Order: sequence, then structure tokens, then C-alpha cells
Amino acid sequence: MIEMVHVSKAYDVSPQALLDITLKVEKGKFLYLTGPSGAGKTTLLKLLYAAEPPTEGEIRVNGFDVVRLKPRQVPYLRRSLGVVFQGAKLLSHRTALENVAFALEVLGDRRREVFKKTTQTLHLVGLDSKVHCFPSQLSAGEQQRVAIARAIVNDPLLLLADEPTGNIDPGSAEEIMKLFEEINFRGTTVVLATHNDGLPLTASKERIVLERGRIVESSLPNPPAGD
Amino acid sequence: MRGLGFRMRRYFFRQAWQNLSQNPWINVITLGTITVSFLVLGLFLVIFLNAQELMAEWGRRIRVTAYLADSVNGERVRRLTEKVRGFEEVQEVQYRSKDEALRILEERLQGQRGMLKGLPRNPLPASLEIRLKPEYRNSLGVNKLVEKLRGAKEIADLQFGSEWVERFSAFMVLFQVLGLGLGGLLLLTTIFVISNTIRLNIFARRDEIEIMRLVGATGLFIRAPFYIEGILQGLLGAGLALAILFVFFQLFLTKVYEPLKFVLGNFPLHFLTSEQAAVLALGGLTLGLLGTQVSVGRYLRV
Repeated sequence: MIEMVHVSKAYDVSPQALLDITLKVEKGKFLYLTGPSGAGKTTLLKLLYAAEPPTEGEIRVNGFDVVRLKPRQVPYLRRSLGVVFQGAKLLSHRTALENVAFALEVLGDRRREVFKKTTQTLHLVGLDSKVHCFPSQLSAGEQQRVAIARAIVNDPLLLLADEPTGNIDPGSAEEIMKLFEEINFRGTTVVLATHNDGLPLTASKERIVLERGRIVESSLPNPPAGD
Repeated sequence: MRGLGFRMRRYFFRQAWQNLSQNPWINVITLGTITVSFLVLGLFLVIFLNAQELMAEWGRRIRVTAYLADSVNGERVRRLTEKVRGFEEVQEVQYRSKDEALRILEERLQGQRGMLKGLPRNPLPASLEIRLKPEYRNSLGVNKLVEKLRGAKEIADLQFGSEWVERFSAFMVLFQVLGLGLGGLLLLTTIFVISNTIRLNIFARRDEIEIMRLVGATGLFIRAPFYIEGILQGLLGAGLALAILFVFFQLFLTKVYEPLKFVLGNFPLHFLTSEQAAVLALGGLTLGLLGTQVSVGRYLRV
């Protein structure tokens, strides 16, 4: 599912954004990526959806060799995963329904199918009654649900989330976290970056802690030696 | 777009239409600018082509007249005509005998033919009327030919109006240089205007584009609507300009030119031929494509 081997990322302003990261996340897992801000959580996620190339190392995601991916192949990697950010990044002139449908339309899906999948997904995130609302008519928590619906409407194998509850009141945040758990329960692998390190771990949940670009703590099984 | 389904193509056009209708003012201003550019370009083209036609007409009047000595006749005339016809600058040589020259003069004098009655003998010389090939209808060509003719003993005098020819050639060159320069400048302006609009549209839609990239839309899928938009703008602008130009041309013909036609020399004016108009419209399409390419290449790397 996800495999990173000796991955480093250097920027001009931050030469050690990530340093020698090696990890493996199996299908169906729920991985918390924690650590203080600036630890490299966002950078790690960006490498996974090929928003940026690593400076060193090997990355495999959903069977794609991310490092050697040609630009025209990137869309196909992106179709196999969903991404949710701290801000919902919704299109303000489109309704909730249209925002979610947009993700399927641009892949060339049939209209009838788009409508069916979109309404089903909005039902899953609990927004049946708000499908025709514009983002400005939705609360921050509801907007984030639309963003999540958009990320999963295409049935991705992997869901990446970068501080998805950062802008939301604690009550809504808890519900959003439950939604991620439900999505994970249905079989989607979830990698969720958060600065909240007090989250409970269960059998399927794992956690790695990043600090200054290095893994300082990990519940993941150690990668095989020599990798 | 080969290999894409009808559904996809319909999506591109819908998206392009959405871009056009979502930012109406940017697009109206762009369309206006393209139309004005093509209007100027088309107007210039109409003037240029008509002027060229006029100059070609004048060019046909450029000729060298070689007056023959009175003693030259018969076989000598035939040999000289053959020789002159052999010069590379020469298109046509016409021999005009003394009698013919007199007849022409009489025709021109019409009412005052009596003036010629008192002449003891025909004072007019025989001549060769030499017309030049189109590429030699300039001062250089005329001078070259005149140099060659000067050596012939049979020729008593030459008439070729070299000063007029010189001015005509200079004007022709200036006109062409000016035309090319102005035309090129207008083309560049149009590309710039279209690329700028597409850039503004890319900027206005940057959120959408970001999400499209994120959910895995292909580069073609993201770019295609912008290309369609650029092409439509170019084509529409050129078409609109042609229509406006045509209306004004007709108005000019009937209201201004027709009444003055005889004063101005009865030279028929032409609008662009359908081929020329098609080329101009195709030019609009190409500029739309180029303008889009500039912006998409720079601001929409996907």
C-alpha cells in the first residue's frame, strides 16, 4: 500500500524537511502522523500524492513507483487516493452536490453515475439535507464533510488527511474523526496528520511521531532489515 | 482530442462556455480587442491589396520608348526588334511606324486635326514600344534596359521617365515594409491580448484547477477548455472584424467612392476575396491557439 525507503526531502529554506524516512503501511490500516508543526507531516503527505518529488529514496503508493512517475502518469496515482486538507478547499460557486460531482466529472464519468455516487457519498458523510447548499451556507464542520465526500467519492484505496480538524470546533472535530474511522472500517487505508498526539490507538490504528523531519517514535512493525 | 468520447468533448465545450460566461467582462474586452486588431489588420489588408492592384496597373504603364532614326527601316527594324525582344527585362516589343504615330497623334488631337494639315511631311519618328516583365518594372530594371539600348545605332532617342519610375519603386518598397511591420505588430498584439485573457481565466479558475489536479484529471482534460476558449475568441474576433469591415466597405463604396469614381480615375475597388477572408479567419484561429499556448505553457504546467 505505502512503502517509503530511506526517503529524504530538502528545501532551500529547510534542508532537512524529511530525513531518512523508512516505513510501510499495510492495506486497511489507519495511521496517525503526529508531531509538532514543522515536523514534516505535510511534506510527507505531499510526497505520497506526488505533489513534490523526494530528494532521495524510494516511494511506492498503491502499486505506483512515485519517484519514477512521469508527469502524465501522476493523474492515475491521484485517482487511486483521496486528499483532505485543513481548509475544505470547496468551489464557492458550486453546491455541495456539485462540488463532490466535480471530482467525478473531470474524470469523464457518466452523468447518471456521477449523480448516483455523489448522493450516496453525501449520505455517508451525513449531509443528505444539505446537498443543494453552497459552501457559504455550511458550517466549517459541514464544509469539511463535503471535502471528505469529494475525496472518497471515487472509492480510493488510500485517504490522506492533513490536519482535517484544525479549523473546526471540538464537537464537530470528534464527529469528523468518527467519519474517518468509518471510512477506514469500510476498507480504505487512512493516513491522517495531526498535531494532537493524545489520540487512542486500537488494533488497526498505528502512529508515527515526526520531529524535525525524523521518525522519533513508531508503532509500525520494523521494516525488514537491509531494506 | 482524438480517442476521446463524445461525452468528454461535450464536457470540454461546456467547460469552455462556462469560462466564457463566468467572466463575461474579461471575455468581452478580449473579444473587443481582437476584433479591433483584426479590423485594423483587415482594413490595412484591403487598402494594401487595392493599392497593390493600382500599382500593378501603374506598373503596366511603365514602358521604354525607343525612337528610331529615320534612315532605319525594313530588315534593320526587324533585326533590332528581335534583338530587343531577346533582352531578359523585356516582355513585349511593339513596332510603331511613322504613319501609325501620326494616326495616334491625330486621334488624340481630335478637333484640332487641322493643325497637322500644314505639315510638309510626317515629322514623327517610328518607335519601339517596349514593355517590361513585372519583376523589372522598377528604376533598376528600366536603367538596365536603357543601358543596353543606348548602344544601338538605330536608336535616335529614348524616353523612359526615370524619375517617376524611381519614386514609384521607392514608394512600393516603403509601402511593403510598412505593411509587414504594422501587420506583424498587430499579430503580436493579438497573441498578447489572447494570452493575457487566458492567463486571467487560469488565475480566476486556479482553485478549480488545483482540485482537478488533486482528483486526478489529466493534463489534456484541464487544458482543453482553455484551448477551445482561445480558439473561439480568435475565430469570433476575426469573423466579427470581417463582418464589420465588409459593411463599412460597402458603405464607403456607395456613399463615398462611387460619386468620386471619375475624379479618382475609375479604378475598381475590391473587398477581400473569400480565400483571403478565410485566411484571415484561420489567422484568428491560429492566433487564439498561439495565445492560449503562451499562457497555458507558462501558467498551467500540468
